[in-house]
Amino acid sequence: MIQLKDLDKYIESRFQRVFILKGIDLTINEGEFITLMGPSGAGKSTLLNILGLLDEDYDGEYLFGDRNIKSMKDRERAALHKSEFGYIFQAYHLIDELTVYENIETPLLYRKVSSNERKSIIADLLDRFNMVAKKDLFPAQLSGGQQQLVGIARAVAGKPRVLLADEPTGNLHSGQAKEIMEVFQELHREGTTIIQATHARENADYGTRLIDMLDGKIEKDEAIIHV
Amino acid sequence: MRKRKLYTGINLIGLTVAIVSFLAICLYIQHEWSYDKMYADYDRIYKFNQEFVSQGESQLVASTPSSLIPTLIEEVPDVETGTLIFDISIFSSVLIDAGEGNQEEQSFAYADENYFKVFNFELLSGNPAQVLAEPNQIVLTKSTAERYFGNAGSATGKILKVEGTDFTVSGVMEDFPSNSHMEFDFLASFKSHRHGKEPEWSPSNYYTYVKLKQGTDVAAFESKVEQIKEKYLGKDLAEYGYKTSFHLQPVSNIHLGDQSLSSIKPGTDIRYLYIFGIVALLLIAIGIINYVNLATAEATERNKEVGLRKAMGAGRGQLFGQFVSESMLLTFAATVFSVLCLYLILPKFSDIGGVPLITNSLMNPVGIGFMVGLILIVGLLAGMYPSLILSGMEPIKALANKTKMGGGAWVRKSLVVFQFFVSIGLLIATFVVKSQLDHMQNVSLGYDREQVVALTYHYNMRNVAETMKSEMLRSGAANSIALAGDMPVHIQAGYTIFPGGDNQREFMITGYSTDKDIVKTLNLAILAGTDFNENDISRSETRENETLLPIILNESAIKEMGWEPEEAIGKTVNFGFSDARIKAVVGDFYFNSMHEKIGPLGIFIDPGNANVLLVKIPEGNPSANLTSLEEVWKKFVPERPFNYRFVDQEYAQLYRSEERVGVVFTLFSGIAVFIACMGLFGLVSYVALRRTREISIRKVLGATQKDVVSVLASDFFKLLLVASILAIGFGLWFADTWLQSFANKVAFSPMPYIMAILLVLLLAGLTIGYRSWKVYRVNPAKTLKSE
Repeated sequence: MIQLKDLDKYIESRFQRVFILKGIDLTINEGEFITLMGPSGAGKSTLLNILGLLDEDYDGEYLFGDRNIKSMKDRERAALHKSEFGYIFQAYHLIDELTVYENIETPLLYRKVSSNERKSIIADLLDRFNMVAKKDLFPAQLSGGQQQLVGIARAVAGKPRVLLADEPTGNLHSGQAKEIMEVFQELHREGTTIIQATHARENADYGTRLIDMLDGKIEKDEAIIHV
Repeated sequence: MRKRKLYTGINLIGLTVAIVSFLAICLYIQHEWSYDKMYADYDRIYKFNQEFVSQGESQLVASTPSSLIPTLIEEVPDVETGTLIFDISIFSSVLIDAGEGNQEEQSFAYADENYFKVFNFELLSGNPAQVLAEPNQIVLTKSTAERYFGNAGSATGKILKVEGTDFTVSGVMEDFPSNSHMEFDFLASFKSHRHGKEPEWSPSNYYTYVKLKQGTDVAAFESKVEQIKEKYLGKDLAEYGYKTSFHLQPVSNIHLGDQSLSSIKPGTDIRYLYIFGIVALLLIAIGIINYVNLATAEATERNKEVGLRKAMGAGRGQLFGQFVSESMLLTFAATVFSVLCLYLILPKFSDIGGVPLITNSLMNPVGIGFMVGLILIVGLLAGMYPSLILSGMEPIKALANKTKMGGGAWVRKSLVVFQFFVSIGLLIATFVVKSQLDHMQNVSLGYDREQVVALTYHYNMRNVAETMKSEMLRSGAANSIALAGDMPVHIQAGYTIFPGGDNQREFMITGYSTDKDIVKTLNLAILAGTDFNENDISRSETRENETLLPIILNESAIKEMGWEPEEAIGKTVNFGFSDARIKAVVGDFYFNSMHEKIGPLGIFIDPGNANVLLVKIPEGNPSANLTSLEEVWKKFVPERPFNYRFVDQEYAQLYRSEERVGVVFTLFSGIAVFIACMGLFGLVSYVALRRTREISIRKVLGATQKDVVSVLASDFFKLLLVASILAIGFGLWFADTWLQSFANKVAFSPMPYIMAILLVLLLAGLTIGYRSWKVYRVNPAKTLKSE
């Protein structure tokens, strides 16, 4: 589904190029659950941003299906971003002024989903993540784990085919983290392609493929065998 | 830090623009207020106005008979001294010859020998008690003397020909100060004028001033004047059924007082001074509001600083002092810039305001004190609220950057509403004024004012007038020519229609002395009857022959008499003591400014009273026609300069003060919108900055640029909406009040309101749009980096 060919990303400093990503070749098939691992600065987040079309400043080729991202118009790229990707952040990044309900509703508003349809989608999601009672609370009134659940609900509300998660459990304690990973697993089982970046090795066990990164390069790429 | 530079810049520019406008308006108001306060004991100097009462109608005029002041000096001990002025420039221009040919002068007056006793203007040469004491003496102002004799020093003793008569220059005076209601180039001794030989109780053509002794009771003095009037005029008044009385007006009240009284120099309606004053305060308020809004907004970013200072032991008072002195410093800087700007732009402003403004009054102790006060007040007003908020923060919260500035939001919001209320309100007022001005320029006046030129006519030309007229017509440079007492834009002469002939009603009527060609020249619409022709005779001839005076009345006059146009033809009336026969009825036309309703008017043949030659020139470029007219003129009256005015331009002159209001409003509403938009820019920048994270999230979630703009704009447009509604209310009130002074007002139109609101929405939209666009361009990957 996604193919990266010889992808470089660098910062031009006065005397030299500092590479953040170098020579990335990566093919991602629909339905995979990939975990990106590596120390800070290895390029995990940068790779996620590029995959999620948030960063367009790189060399090399990015094919989504059979379409080349670089040759797409801004409008097409924005439409692709809207329809195919869902984002989950380490710091949740919920909108403070909006309630749980409204936060989940936001991406649907930008997708011009009708009011009735929105209601039923959000009701399903609230139900699924056991947050019906909390729908009128503001993010500040929730625990970190609950906030991240809202974040996930918001990310999947638009039914994206690819879910990108950058350290989704980084701010959570292990119990909450486990809960989040189980949700991911379930989404994966339903067919969603998931790419997560994480420091925690145990999170990789929920996935199907593990990619180790170091200094902007892929060090190791292996399948996770579930016994 | 860069953001602070932006806010400081916005505040500085906003305050500077506001203070420049404020100071300029203050200087203007101060100048208007200082009128006629430079004479010694000005509070004891009064001008006489005369009130006529006839048939229950009362009319106040600014002039009095020439006997009034000599009699009062003689018989009333309260009078210290008094003088009269005969301003003949209102009737006609004067020809002056200093040996180099005639020059036409417009600013010439006669004054009696006490003039310099009442008004202590400085004489550069000549003895104040003697310069106007003898016949054929004349005093020149300094610049007039320089104009005629090269320098002021050598003028005294020289001879000037005034309309052919020799006058000796007896003295040279300083030019009249710009804040005196008098302004002449020449002052000739009243004794030189044929009316100045002996004092008379009629006509009332003279401005009379009296200086009362110290401690005189004005009311008691007025009743003594009443007794004098009874003594000399009582018998005549009883006979004619008139009542008249004399009223005192303080000299310092002339300029801003009753504007319906004629005066030497046009006065100023004091209501405009109030309006300008309010506008000045509003502009300052908008500048202050910018500061308050940006400073409170910025306070969020200064949390840390405040927290640190508090943690180090700074008291609330100290912090308050610090922030207020910051605003004072900024106001000080803005004031310094403003003064610099004023020196650059004041010459321009004088042109607009039509008044010379003197920057000197800024740079004297009073002016500097005023500005220090301004800095203190503006600085305090601007700094107080943000300082209270900043100094009131709790240190721990402030250090942790947890304070939500939500509390100040409603204050900011109402201040923004106020700013835009003022901006939109001023714009609406501007558009209302403009629409009325346009209306008055475009409405049909009932006569042709285009392609009509008025040449200055003098009684001395009477013998050649008719031949010159036909010569001009023959030259092809004129379609029609008429002699007239006045230009049609402003006809004043008051007559009465007395009971007599076929009508018993009586009322005041305006008389227009012309010749037989006036209807053609002005293209008046004849409703009934026939135009004057060769056989119709003039007013003086009818008196000699005791025949009926042919007269043309306007529709209003006919209505006043209760007739239809057709039935009026051939009827006789008593018009201004002459028996007259109505020859025609013309449609009403505006013979005064549109402040007044069209009143009754009678047109009669009386070329002896003519002051202008109205020439209807053919369509096209007037300059060739004017050259041909001048050629003919030079043939007949080579000694008189050829001077012309266009009637449509004179008509526009009627609304000079409204025009001025329009210009001032345009200027200051523009400034208000500018300052308010700058403040809006700062505020949107702040909000955008504060919401960058939120906007990035929305962008990741799929928000388009339009969505981002609407997130930022919706709040502000709500505020603009509230401001617009309030401004519409103000606009309706303003239009109602201001238009009340016009008899013919522009019909209500929503255009001024729509235009003002759209304009402000557009500008605000651009401001917000630009900021939102910049925020939208921020790469969300950067803002949303995980910590």
